[in-house]
Amino acid sequence: MILLPRGNPVKEKIDPGKINLPEALRKLQSGTFTGYLRFETKTGTGVVIFEAGSLISALFEWARDGERLVNEAAFERIFEQSLAGGATLDIYRLSTELARSIHALLHGEVLYKGQDLKLIDIKALLAKLKEDQMSGCLRIYTKEHVALIFYRDGNPLGFFHDGSTDIETTAGHSMSVAREPGAKIDVLLATNNGEGGAVNLLQTIDLLSVWQKIQDGVVRQRRTLVEEANRSKEAVEKDRQQKVLALLRGTAEKHIGKIGISLVDKEFDKTLPLGADTLSGFYDRLTKAAKLVAGPSTVKTMVEEMQKGLGAFLK
Amino acid sequence: MNWELLQVAFWLIAGIVSFYFSLGTARVWTSIAVGFFLILVGEVIPRAMPFLPWADLPQVEAMGLIIGTISIMVMTHGFQEYYVFSKTLEIEGKKSTVYLGTLAVIAASLVFILINPLPDSATLELIKIVSLTNWVFLSLINIDMIRKIFINIKDSPISKGFLAFIAIFVFIFLWKGAALYIRIYELDTLRETYPFRYNLSFMVSHAGNILASLSVGGTFLYLARLLR
Repeated sequence: MILLPRGNPVKEKIDPGKINLPEALRKLQSGTFTGYLRFETKTGTGVVIFEAGSLISALFEWARDGERLVNEAAFERIFEQSLAGGATLDIYRLSTELARSIHALLHGEVLYKGQDLKLIDIKALLAKLKEDQMSGCLRIYTKEHVALIFYRDGNPLGFFHDGSTDIETTAGHSMSVAREPGAKIDVLLATNNGEGGAVNLLQTIDLLSVWQKIQDGVVRQRRTLVEEANRSKEAVEKDRQQKVLALLRGTAEKHIGKIGISLVDKEFDKTLPLGADTLSGFYDRLTKAAKLVAGPSTVKTMVEEMQKGLGAFLK
Repeated sequence: MNWELLQVAFWLIAGIVSFYFSLGTARVWTSIAVGFFLILVGEVIPRAMPFLPWADLPQVEAMGLIIGTISIMVMTHGFQEYYVFSKTLEIEGKKSTVYLGTLAVIAASLVFILINPLPDSATLELIKIVSLTNWVFLSLINIDMIRKIFINIKDSPISKGFLAFIAIFVFIFLWKGAALYIRIYELDTLRETYPFRYNLSFMVSHAGNILASLSVGGTFLYLARLLR
């Protein structure tokens, strides 16, 4: 799971399957948006980071094994999972510096992960960070909240917590996360301190083609699922018809002989699909023909036995 | 022994039973039952000639013979329809068509007789031979057709009734076949020369008649029981 504080919400809990994602990303580009988009899907989390309208990062992390996909592969998964349904999209505004820092740390290295805060010697950890002049962040989190403490060259830069737009210099809210029960800490190293211009992925990736490809795949998959469901439904219905026919044939043979089987076979074809109305017509036709080989009382008994036997199949 | 009185009595019962049977059953049975009923009409008319003032008219005798021919054709038509049903399982048509169609054929025959010269004895003899020939050959055809029907509906409740019909047509074949034999070879005029042939054919014809009437009445009563 990609743990990031929520930032300043622009929009939350959107269904990304209902919007044209390439179009939405183009609008963010033209609006010189800075911040990140978080896609929470059934199979993982996707994060897309903008800096002044430039799409600088796209990342998807699989929930099952933590494997990460970046750039075009990440977009393929994000689009696929969005169209599959059950995903949510949150958009948060950030400052440029914060956006770059997030980008740097997401593509960086995890030094320590999921350590229980109570068991960590924080002072020793901070001393080591300073000694090694590390750049990155400490991520402190519980189930509900996340806070980041950024470091550059071993020196603390500031804090990022839920609702922030920029790196803050006061601990306050961030440290309150550390005091929550069950708080854990990750230590992440950044790749390039968040400096330097990142490539605008909107210019290197043809998002429209990726989107079209994924849409076509989803449509194909849905069609296959519908066809399989129909086939399965057809198979169940066919099985039901065979059972009904076997029951009718057996009852007819018992009362009026082998000619009864022939009569049932002939009239049954006109009875599909099975239903109360069609069966009523079946009984009428069968009765009329059966009266040529048996008496009315025998035919009536036969039909009543058929109706009783078919009661279960028609429920 | 008054064969003829006995025969009329038995055919009266058989005819009433078969006509009554035709009323309460499906169309295909109507043809068969009406056909057997018409045998009664064909038997009663010649027998009534000594007793009824108009009965000895040649046209009446001719109509009696023609109605006899119509009867075997109607019942053959009925068995054909039943055979088609036993093979294809298709049934169609109305009962009223059978009644009206039969009446129409009888009416047309009556018109034919009335518009033509009065039939003399030779004409009547020819009409009789045509009638007997129809009976003989259609009886054989019906025996085979009923046999096939029986195979198709072998284990149905009504199948045994068809075995009874085979017996009826065997008796009818003997009855009409013997009568035709007598007529073809004019054994009634040559009875002195061929007494055995004549007497045997005479006995077979009359016995076949009685057995046929008994079996018709009995068969329709049996069928009514099977089709209850």
